Amino acid sequence: METLGIFPDVESAGQAVTGLIQAGFVPSQITSLTSVAYPDGALVQTAPRSFFRWVSLAGAATGALAGFGLAAGTAWLYPVQTGDKPIIALFPSAIVTFEVAMLCAIVGTMVGMFLEMKLPAWKPRLYDPAIAEGCIGISLTFHGPGEIVACGPGREAIEHCIGAIAALPLPEQRARAEEVMRQAGALRTIME
Amino acid sequence: MEKMTSPYRWGMAIDLDRCTGCGACVVACQAENNVGLCDKKEIAEGRNMHWLRIERYWVGEYPDVRVRFLPVLCQHCHDAPCEPVCPVYASYHNPDGLNGQVYNRCVGTRYCGNNCPYAVRVFNFYPHEWPQPLDSQLNPDITVRSRGVMEKCSFCIQRIRRAKETARGEGRQVADGEVQPACAQTCPADAFVFGNLADPLSRVARLSRSPRRFQLLEHLGTHPSVFYLKGGGREHV
Amino acid sequence: MSELPKTTHGEHAPAARSAQTVNDELLSSMRPPTLRWYALVIFLLALIGWGLFAFGWQVSHGMYVTGKNRPVMWGFYITGFVFWVGLSHSGTMVSSILRLSRANWRRPILRAAEAMTVFCIMVAGLFPLIHLGRNWIFFYMMPYPNQRGLWPNFRSPLLWDMTAITAYIIGSSLFLYLGMLPDLALVRDRSTGWRRDVYGLLAMGWRGSAHEWAVYHKASTLMAALIIPVAVSVHSIVAWDFAVTVVPGWHSTIFPPYFVIGAIFSGVAAVITLMIIIRRTFHLQEYLTAQHFDNMGKLLLVISLLWSYAYFVEVQTTWYAHEPIEWEVFSFMSDRYTWPLAVMLIGNSILPITLLCFRRMRRSIPVLLVLTLLINVAMFIERFLIIVPSLSHKNMPFAWGSYSPSWVEISVNVMALALFALLYTLFAKFFPIVAVTDVRELEARRGQVALGRASLPSLPVED
Repeated sequence: METLGIFPDVESAGQAVTGLIQAGFVPSQITSLTSVAYPDGALVQTAPRSFFRWVSLAGAATGALAGFGLAAGTAWLYPVQTGDKPIIALFPSAIVTFEVAMLCAIVGTMVGMFLEMKLPAWKPRLYDPAIAEGCIGISLTFHGPGEIVACGPGREAIEHCIGAIAALPLPEQRARAEEVMRQAGALRTIME
Repeated sequence: MEKMTSPYRWGMAIDLDRCTGCGACVVACQAENNVGLCDKKEIAEGRNMHWLRIERYWVGEYPDVRVRFLPVLCQHCHDAPCEPVCPVYASYHNPDGLNGQVYNRCVGTRYCGNNCPYAVRVFNFYPHEWPQPLDSQLNPDITVRSRGVMEKCSFCIQRIRRAKETARGEGRQVADGEVQPACAQTCPADAFVFGNLADPLSRVARLSRSPRRFQLLEHLGTHPSVFYLKGGGREHV
Repeated sequence: MSELPKTTHGEHAPAARSAQTVNDELLSSMRPPTLRWYALVIFLLALIGWGLFAFGWQVSHGMYVTGKNRPVMWGFYITGFVFWVGLSHSGTMVSSILRLSRANWRRPILRAAEAMTVFCIMVAGLFPLIHLGRNWIFFYMMPYPNQRGLWPNFRSPLLWDMTAITAYIIGSSLFLYLGMLPDLALVRDRSTGWRRDVYGLLAMGWRGSAHEWAVYHKASTLMAALIIPVAVSVHSIVAWDFAVTVVPGWHSTIFPPYFVIGAIFSGVAAVITLMIIIRRTFHLQEYLTAQHFDNMGKLLLVISLLWSYAYFVEVQTTWYAHEPIEWEVFSFMSDRYTWPLAVMLIGNSILPITLLCFRRMRRSIPVLLVLTLLINVAMFIERFLIIVPSLSHKNMPFAWGSYSPSWVEISVNVMALALFALLYTLFAKFFPIVAVTDVRELEARRGQVALGRASLPSLPVED
């Protein structure tokens, strides 16, 4: 369950985030939707680590193997004497291995990035075209009622930490959130 | 990968003290190998098809002018610069020590032609034709190349193959002097000697050890299979 | 390099433009096409058609329609190939290096440079197919399993070319796409109908959440770092086409760095030319200011000095050692191609170095336009003068020759230029030609700080 508030500028959006946190929601439930990137911490904080670089590395390793197979493997399969060069030659193999490794590293970066962003999104998610024209969206994901578990190291994902407000039933959580957003200056709120 | 070895290492010795510059070898090569006929326009454009050319150098000032002749053909280098650069293996080194050119495989990048320091490689810029009755003179032992394909002297590989087949049929090696490329066969001054360099007693192997020997562009380290002989005092040209 | 507008005492800071206005202005290239646009496209298509006719003439008749001969077996086509590969280094160098060094003045320039890279390398990739004697069996050069068990020769530099250019086309396309991702979402939000669906598909559902932006920035940095070695290796490999041969004048270890420097040179010059054209055509004077051209001009000056240094070193070492055949190549070049050589030296060294030292010249758009166009003409000549004189006078004097291009080769090269222009024109019509979100990101972070008696614009420092 999500609620999206559209704010005209970054100050009101910042006030909304502060208000939501004061109301008892945890930071990991709140995210900003912006058409340009704001410095980390201006609205919300993001996780410092990311895993997509491992996918790049895996790509590079695969590419290196593929490149070596191309240059050295095909020469081994079809050996033809040319000049004084050995059948499996060092420099040509190194060059082709490097090129294919870099290509696969680049492809791996793209794939890893999309994996980490969880794009393309299979479920439709809340969005407003006004965000493209400079408005800031503050999106709040609700938890079902349950035990309060504070966020901390090792429990940063939404599924793992629950704020003070989560004891309330969902419609009431939503009403409180919308009240906070309206007070901060939201142009409108959208919900699923 | 099987080891590719052969009892033959074909080579040639060209005696420049004997060469008269008559050009019969050039004509013989053209006839034997179905080399394309070029008209004046083609030659003027620099697109001659000579597999073997006689280079002519003038020495001295009038009236004391002398001329030197140098027949240049594919040197069948052991470290041929033209071979590694072909992207499709159309130019390769065969176990007999020849630099082979596979016409069917050639896509015509012309990299081999650029990298040959002796400029002996020839490209078919034009589609060559043999209007009747010239087509009757074509040698059936060798193909006619299409346009867009590189070609060059092959030491008359068709004659080498024929001799090897005959020898194998008779259960022996090819004898010294049995294979005569067209140029060697035709030269009236007997300036060309062709044979098996791997046989130390063959005529060409003996001549390749002559004190008169030199090779073209030795500093490039291509290790050609062709030896040139030139000696005598300064009174000789 | 200051990227903020200067404020004098008593003047108010310029009113911040609303995001919508900025969007409108920067995306103005995507408005419905005018008659002039159609006229340009038709003109370019006509040039391409003529080039295709010339190429078809060559394929059906034979390579004799070109100017190539024995021994000059490579001519204008390989010149064009090296030239376009060189130009394709524009985006990589400008975009990646400025991204990695966090230079703020890169923002309006990035997209044009990255797009240029992709289209230049696409055009360059055509030439190895055009110059073949038997183009119809070009696939012999591709590694695919076949029933005869044949493979191509990876020891040949031409196969390294193929691998590198494939890697670079894919890599730079992905780089361009990555840079465009937030902008595609922006354009998606402003479109309707089938256009919205297409842009939506390309934008992959981008919402601009904080997590997406964080990952995006890290991925952009990594991509920028990865694409630089690819770019350097691509042009080094093209340089090795020449440097690994035994041809006098080509067999030189300076070729790979020399070619990379030359590539950056012509690439940066071409980016400046394109920026001038884009600025004029899409009325982006507010976003591409004299300061941007000043900075690009300084970059161009440094690279011109580097190129001049590399050329001087090459000629000087050949002259001093005076190996007969090596010096013969330069001697022949200066004799037979005197005027092209003069144009090259003036266009690549003398004019850029003298003019670009002066701030007023760097900030003058007409001067930069003429200078950068001249630089690229001079660079084309430079490629030509590397390739042809060495082949003309190789080791055996009896086999020396020379070369002049024929109408077929000139037409095909013009077609390459027209193809690039057409691809670029189409790109500018359908995609944002300026990195909108990048430019707006700067505006979003700008603030005003009171310092002493003045009120100055400020920018947070990126760590």
